[in-house]
Amino acid sequence: MKITLSVNDRSVDVDVAPSTMLVDVLRDELGITSARATCGVGLCGTCTVLLDGRPVSSCLLMAPLAIGKRITTVEGLPDDDAVVRCFSERHAFQCGFCIPGMVLTARDMIDTGRANTPEEIREGLGGNLCRCGCYVKIVDAIEEAAR
Amino acid sequence: MSWHMPTTVDEVLRLKASKPDATVVAGGTFLGLVIRQGLLDSDEWISLQNVDELRAFGTAGDLSAGAMVTHRRIETEPAVRRDWPGVAEAFGVVASPRVRNVATIGGVLADADYASDPPAMLVASRAVAEVASVRGMRRVPIEELIVGHYETELDDDEIITRVLVPRPTGSAAYRKLRTRSREDRPAVSVAAVRETGGVRVVVGAVSDRPRHYPDICAEWRPGDEQSTREVAAAYADRIPCLDDGRGSAEYRRQVVSVEVRRALMQVSR
Amino acid sequence: MTADMRRSPGPSPADPRVVGGLDYSIDHHVPGAWHLRLVRSDVAAGRVVDIDTTGVESDVTIITPADVAAYGTFGCQIADQRVLAAEPKFAGDPVVAVVAPTPEAAREAAASIQLDYDEAHGVFNEFEAATASAPLVHTSHASASGDAAYFAMRPLDGTNVCHRFRIRTPELRGYDEPELIRELPPLDDATMSDAFAGSDIVVEETFRTPAAAHVPMEPHATTAQWVDGRLEVITGTQTPFNLRQDLAALFGLDPADVRVVAPAMGGSFGAKTFMRTEAITAVAAAFTGKPVRCVLDRDEVFSEVTRHASTVWMRMGATREGRFVAKQMVAYVNTGAYADCGPGVAQKLGYAGVGPYRFDHVAVDSYCTYTNLPPAGAFRGYGAMQSAWASERLVDMLAGELHIDPVELRRMNLLRDGDAFCTGEIMHDTHFEELLDDAAKAVAWNDGRDGKGVAIILKGMQTPSRAEVAIHALPDGRFEVRSATADMGQGAPEALTRMAADVLGVPPEHIVVPPPDTDLAPYDTRTTSSRSTHMMSRALAAAADDLRANGTVGHGRIVNDGGLDPDTGTGVASSHWHQGAAAAHVDVDDETGIIDVRSLYATSYAGRVVHRAAAELQNEGSMIMSLGTALFEELTYVDGQLVNPNLSEYNIASALDGATIHHRLLETPGAEVHGLGETAVPPVPPALGNAVASLGYHPCRLPMTPERVLASRVHPRQEAP
Repeated sequence: MKITLSVNDRSVDVDVAPSTMLVDVLRDELGITSARATCGVGLCGTCTVLLDGRPVSSCLLMAPLAIGKRITTVEGLPDDDAVVRCFSERHAFQCGFCIPGMVLTARDMIDTGRANTPEEIREGLGGNLCRCGCYVKIVDAIEEAAR
Repeated sequence: MSWHMPTTVDEVLRLKASKPDATVVAGGTFLGLVIRQGLLDSDEWISLQNVDELRAFGTAGDLSAGAMVTHRRIETEPAVRRDWPGVAEAFGVVASPRVRNVATIGGVLADADYASDPPAMLVASRAVAEVASVRGMRRVPIEELIVGHYETELDDDEIITRVLVPRPTGSAAYRKLRTRSREDRPAVSVAAVRETGGVRVVVGAVSDRPRHYPDICAEWRPGDEQSTREVAAAYADRIPCLDDGRGSAEYRRQVVSVEVRRALMQVSR
Repeated sequence: MTADMRRSPGPSPADPRVVGGLDYSIDHHVPGAWHLRLVRSDVAAGRVVDIDTTGVESDVTIITPADVAAYGTFGCQIADQRVLAAEPKFAGDPVVAVVAPTPEAAREAAASIQLDYDEAHGVFNEFEAATASAPLVHTSHASASGDAAYFAMRPLDGTNVCHRFRIRTPELRGYDEPELIRELPPLDDATMSDAFAGSDIVVEETFRTPAAAHVPMEPHATTAQWVDGRLEVITGTQTPFNLRQDLAALFGLDPADVRVVAPAMGGSFGAKTFMRTEAITAVAAAFTGKPVRCVLDRDEVFSEVTRHASTVWMRMGATREGRFVAKQMVAYVNTGAYADCGPGVAQKLGYAGVGPYRFDHVAVDSYCTYTNLPPAGAFRGYGAMQSAWASERLVDMLAGELHIDPVELRRMNLLRDGDAFCTGEIMHDTHFEELLDDAAKAVAWNDGRDGKGVAIILKGMQTPSRAEVAIHALPDGRFEVRSATADMGQGAPEALTRMAADVLGVPPEHIVVPPPDTDLAPYDTRTTSSRSTHMMSRALAAAADDLRANGTVGHGRIVNDGGLDPDTGTGVASSHWHQGAAAAHVDVDDETGIIDVRSLYATSYAGRVVHRAAAELQNEGSMIMSLGTALFEELTYVDGQLVNPNLSEYNIASALDGATIHHRLLETPGAEVHGLGETAVPPVPPALGNAVASLGYHPCRLPMTPERVLASRVHPRQEAP
């Protein structure tokens, strides 16, 4: 089926089967590689994108469910985004594979006022896993970005 | 292949009746999982994404949540947190904020997954599902809706349209015991809701469906430690516990008695 | 459309890893590449008797074991693996490869192929596999010839034991073990009773660790193509040169005709070492004459390579005053269906299990056994974790028997500069006492020790090994550092940049570090065992000197000699010791067995720190990973079938799990650079285990699930008064 999606404020037309997951549309049709399918069960968060500003697992989201919604990937954040800056400055990453998903989750947490304490941030990072174990610096970076 | 996007419940029901093999998509979380695992594909999809009436939400009398209301809404809505704190808590501990942003109350009931958090609390809270088809609407207590592993008593042409939770008259507790990561699903969960003249204790995640034993609950004397222990022990004896990576049947049985006791102590206060 | 959706490289200070600007192996697309899927065995042992491919579309290439029979065997330490298995040796062993123009077509074709088996009995447990009656996983043992086989293999022919490593301190040289020991021999054995004769107290126990998964977030992703008779492979690997050597041997090529390019990895932790999917992908490229891409699904990653399950029997004797006298250890590591680097794991587990202590006598027998489980290979902490779990728990048991404070008991016996290790090598640059004191202080050890535990470890670095690096002066005044040090998130390019800038006396912006490419970079042993920063720091200094002397290109080459005689355990286990300690403070819910980690601390000797953030992250990451090892990570097999190959059923630690960690890098200004990639892995489980034990439990088996904790209760719970 042909669907129109709004990705990072651009309108794009793609032709996909309804059961195609959004992550595959982003990667294979649009060349956006920051969203990454890792666990395939919605638990790790490397595929996180924002749908109307709220984080969702793009590896489990059938693409047509995103019709009429704003899809934001880390490429769509402004260049001066505080979360991006704080993650970079605080070196809150190792391999980096999970980091774009972390950044988007943090963006939502800050936008909805749920990044006030380290405890709240850790709670908010539920479902964003980092096998390199960078959580200490990630929490610090989000705390700073929220200020 | 078609993706239908009806805008009213009536339209959904007509579609469902005319295409019995079509798959209904609510939040799509659970479906996403099974599609990814290659367990499901379909030629016809009926998506509820544009059915606004299924997002209706009210807290004036009963808590009334359309089937498409997300976990996140129930968890964060101030009126729910104030007046149905047990319900807010059970929805707030599901998976991650990301999953709760899309997962719906209708979806979690229709999936009937034994390790989900909300069903036990909804059963304990005497919640009722409104179930509709072209044949009409009926009300089914959640206690009767979920009949086994991933199994409900919904007919093929029926969908859940709304869930009603009566206003609680007493305190509630939800205990979620995780044996692995802090993000794991429960090995044992206990929902306890006080009501006039008694308590409803429901144990989840240990067998195929939430387990509630009114006859055992009837023996409870609030605040009495001996009867609390007896109720807890009776639950542990009665429930057929399952074995999985989160715990053996024997461990679960042991912990059911601990957690039921602790939940009852919580609602004694 | 593809290009313009990407973020344009602007003046933004954003790190490419933060904004999705770094291409991993999985992001590398060679135009025209076909897609490979593997059809895997459903049975753990047996023979494939029929391959039904009638449902497969005609444009799909099918490769069966018979098609690749002409290729020889491969394996980094023992050549025991084939490109495809006609006789599968674990559930998940690749039997058939299909190659199709699209991933969907490949998936569909693979799903339509039906395999029929003549199923055989498998053997799954590491010590049951070593019994005389166990079915043989392999009928013969053939040592590999590549560089990764850096010591002589000592297989036991006619058994599943593919390597035996032993240590005998001088007075125990006459003590030979029976061919196979299935339990700790009784103390009345003449030689060993002499060894323990000076002991007033002897403790012994059996400790177990399960198989575990690395769970790199990026799956294994490989692209292979043949270009003018040369093989080119783009793959995430920690071992580009070992891989080049093994691929060359497989295809009968000169190693110079194999090119391995290793883009940044989205995590590895040992999972992307030696030959993985590269052999079959290269074969598929040869069969189809096209570039071929292979990306594993998550459940396949779970069985591609695992951590060695182990059973460790250990006995320790001491005088009443607390002086360690003798240690005996018999260990089995479960290497699964293919040896991979299991012999090396058995060896490292063997000497690491002695711990950073002086003993009069040491006898170690460490066996690497085949089973019909997925192959086990390199895993962060490599053997040391399994035996430190045993040895540091046993030290606390001994302290209990002696009524001596566990920290004091350790301090009395720690290795210090000039002491001889059990291998005969003389210790230097030791920092154990400082680490121990630091760990104890972190949990306020002197303010009461209920719920607290400490552990201290030594861990070897790959020895012998060789590191080479070339510095090219570029026309624009910058310098290009070419090395095979792989980037798996540990910060290799940043560390190389800083070290090169330092030795060249130029700003870091003048240094360029391309990803490893065996066509361009000089030889390097591999990026494992926390060796690279240490070795490369020395090689870079030599290369800078050479550059200054010779103009445009400078070569640096550092060789670390050493190694152990696997028969006696004498020699140089490690030219440079990783040293670390950990401390934990826990509560245990005595009704549910749930451990609440109030505080977890690790302290690692860092020498001179090159890149502070990266060094801290390595320490923190090791702790988080090991926290999962201690509390819940376990691959569960039922009759050889993995039942939890996904993150729903196999949990890894989350931000909430690691909320109470803190740590320290113990630094000495001007000292040598020390590797830090895994020092904090081994001490964490025993520190937590000792903390749990202090509350009246006796955990001997990892992970310490609530259920196991409850079952290990030493005394019946006291009802509150």
